[in-house]
Amino acid sequence: MRPRGTPTVVRAGVPVPLALPVAVLLGVLVALPLLRLVQVLWQEGDLAGILGSPGLGTAIGHTVVLAVAVTVTAVPIGVALALALRRPDLPGRAFWRAAVLLPVVVPDFVLGYSWTQAYARAGFTDTLLGLHWDGLLGPVGVWLVLVVNAAPLAYLVVAVGLAARSEPDLERAARASGAGSTTVLVTITLRLVLPAVAAASVLVFVLTLGTFAIPQVLGTPAGFRTVTTRIYADLSIGGDPTSFLEAVSLALLLVLVAVVCVAPSDALLGPRLRSARPADAQGQQSVPGGRAARRGQAVGVGLYLLLTMAVPLAALALSSVTRALGVPPTPGNWTLDHFRQVLTVRTVEALGRSVGLAVVAASLLVLLGGLVAVGERRRAGRATATLITLTLVLPGSTLAVALLITYGRWLSGTLTLILLAYLAKLWAFAHRPIAGALDRLPPDELHAARASGAALLTAVRTVALRPLAPALLGAWLICFLTALHEVTMSSLLYGPGSETLAVVVLNSQELGRIGPTAALSVVLTVLVAAPALLLSPVVGRLRVPHDGPRAEVARVG
Amino acid sequence: MTTGSIGHPSRGRDGRRQSASLALTAVVVLALGACGGKSSGSESGSGQSQALTLYTCVNDATIQPVIAAFEKAESGSHVDLFRAPTGELNARVAADARSGGLRADVVWGCDPLTVQAFVDQGLVGGWTPPDADAVPAEFRTDDYVGAHVLYMVAVHRTDVPAPRTWADLAGPGYTALAVPDPSVAASALGTLGYFAADPAYGVDFYRSLKDHGAVQVSTPDNVTTGVAQGVYDAGITTASSAYAAKDDGSPVDVVWPEPGAVAIYGPIALATHSADSGAAKAFISFVVSKEGQTVLGGAGSYPTLPGVGGPTVPAGAPVVSPDWAAIGADKASILADYQQVFGG
Repeated sequence: MRPRGTPTVVRAGVPVPLALPVAVLLGVLVALPLLRLVQVLWQEGDLAGILGSPGLGTAIGHTVVLAVAVTVTAVPIGVALALALRRPDLPGRAFWRAAVLLPVVVPDFVLGYSWTQAYARAGFTDTLLGLHWDGLLGPVGVWLVLVVNAAPLAYLVVAVGLAARSEPDLERAARASGAGSTTVLVTITLRLVLPAVAAASVLVFVLTLGTFAIPQVLGTPAGFRTVTTRIYADLSIGGDPTSFLEAVSLALLLVLVAVVCVAPSDALLGPRLRSARPADAQGQQSVPGGRAARRGQAVGVGLYLLLTMAVPLAALALSSVTRALGVPPTPGNWTLDHFRQVLTVRTVEALGRSVGLAVVAASLLVLLGGLVAVGERRRAGRATATLITLTLVLPGSTLAVALLITYGRWLSGTLTLILLAYLAKLWAFAHRPIAGALDRLPPDELHAARASGAALLTAVRTVALRPLAPALLGAWLICFLTALHEVTMSSLLYGPGSETLAVVVLNSQELGRIGPTAALSVVLTVLVAAPALLLSPVVGRLRVPHDGPRAEVARVG
Repeated sequence: MTTGSIGHPSRGRDGRRQSASLALTAVVVLALGACGGKSSGSESGSGQSQALTLYTCVNDATIQPVIAAFEKAESGSHVDLFRAPTGELNARVAADARSGGLRADVVWGCDPLTVQAFVDQGLVGGWTPPDADAVPAEFRTDDYVGAHVLYMVAVHRTDVPAPRTWADLAGPGYTALAVPDPSVAASALGTLGYFAADPAYGVDFYRSLKDHGAVQVSTPDNVTTGVAQGVYDAGITTASSAYAAKDDGSPVDVVWPEPGAVAIYGPIALATHSADSGAAKAFISFVVSKEGQTVLGGAGSYPTLPGVGGPTVPAGAPVVSPDWAAIGADKASILADYQQVFGG
């Protein structure tokens, strides 16, 4: 039962009183909704007809190839960013760390649009340099923008993994003993952060399987179809049971693909990646590199961020103040109209609701994700970890339908149902970063604390949670940001009095209206960035010289 | 909404929790109850109350003034609104139908195919207002009546020639064109259905568009965005989105080409379980009345009732209507022919 090298103190995994609620929530959030979809399909669907429909094989092929291609690119970029931004001596590190997460604040389809505005025909580079990129509207463009969209997530998971798991002393010792920097990187740093890399890979893979907006915006013009764009088409056209059932079966097909790919990785790979290590909190300062290496990394990070984020997001910011599409974004054409459209009394009410919902969802998700991560030391726990990725792979529309079919009789139109949808969708989002950082749990210290008379929770809080803090904060942040501008599920589930920000602003504008949507993205960015900036001096003051992990908390995000 | 006391995990405040069971109780309480009870809107109208629930895909700018005018005209009435794009609306209706029945009293769709599918499932239909006859026959059936119209027109950059006919789009002067995807947007399907049935055009029209650099984008709004941005020279889109871009100041112009802009009407229908609901019937009657249509026209949508003012229609602009019954019956084969050209 017990994976090799797992510290003895946690062999019991989640105590039974905690395992029971996890099991109940697993049933409520994942199993029942999925089973209801299966039941609908079973009772009404013509599975043979649906699976034999023309073009489906191609769409599945596109989806899987895309998910693999995005994962093998975005995760290494995330790792490279995390390693580069980990260096305390990197010039401008605090700024880069915040900038790299910017795409998370921007809704997917806005990101897709911002790329066309930057690099497509008549875009920024075309206007300024006469250069545009036709391939952007096609599979390669979809892949690239998805990579840019997923890299921050991979970065975050790996960065919190590094913060919790890295062993700078070990690295220094290796360097002192004559190991080259590559050897140290491969044999120590990367080896230790493998669980986080695995976690990031699973997240990116599953997220890409279920991604919709970017393939729709950039892939459709080249006839590039994925399973999710077909689901969208099925739901959009006709309103007849056949199309609906095809959408349901395609969504379940995605679930199946996710099971086939993620379950073996969780069952076999997960336990093998973990390593037993001394886990007392260490200094987080990594080994400084040479001046040339520092400069090289700073230039690399800067160039990457310039091309993938600064140019598209600048295009986006300019769109938010430019009166119309297609006019030059010069001061003569600037206006605040889009902001006026976005900032109404209804918006402010909805914003309050969305922030509340996102805070509650993110907080609950960190707790739920943590519980699953702790439970992963048992086989049943690893199965739980796989199961909660299945609601992540479901496109928002289908997950919302599943929840509505399951609980709509009692909860239709309520915020509770929207909250359940967020919890179901993002559980794996919260769990994977924590799981990737988890086996820092210091067994001996936990033992010692307990032996010295500390209550279980005191011991967990003072000994276990502290090194995990970056992961918990990272997971919280990613869930909060995602929930804040979630649009598909809330626009399908809301009712009177439960309109979220996205419903009021995006939905009422129709999703095609770029100006107001760009304005909303800017408002969200400011809303998220402002508290972070205001808090950073406060958090900075909390830094204690010998308290490495906590110092790291201040910097993540 | 109660946000509860689950602490921010980042700075160890969650350590203040007294016990794990307390935290988990909070989880369960929050998940199952804290946010509940906010909504009364999903209750279906029973005919007793003056409240009704409306499901629609009509844009917010139109629907809000119409509801406000109705609530003012019928004092004591109240409309609970669920507004979403067609895809989400369909998904919600499908989910409702599988969890206790449709929770709307009135459904106001954006194309006849969708609403006809709801009729075929027995969810809506069976009643239209007595004065529905004033609406042109091509915009109504016995089960529903058109409340607004979308016109599919040509949008083009001001630096390329204006097309006079639809066929002109496949001529010289355009190197990049955008057409909306008929497997995603019903308005695009209606347009395809019209051209497919017109011997002068046929699906070959789309083939020649493709030969002249046309690409298929997702929705009409995506067409307008792409043309306004300058990614495409021209495209097929809705008049409302094209005029909105033009009014914003984008360098585009709008043409209602010969033989005509394709009219896609948005039907309004009574839910079958609300057959006794006076409020629901009153709402439908109001929307297609002269008063309701005037409000709708003033709010930026094209009315169906002749003689009521609305957004821009150029003098003498030609209009054609697709044969919706034929499109509904042949959807699969029309799409299959089309997909020979554009794939999908």
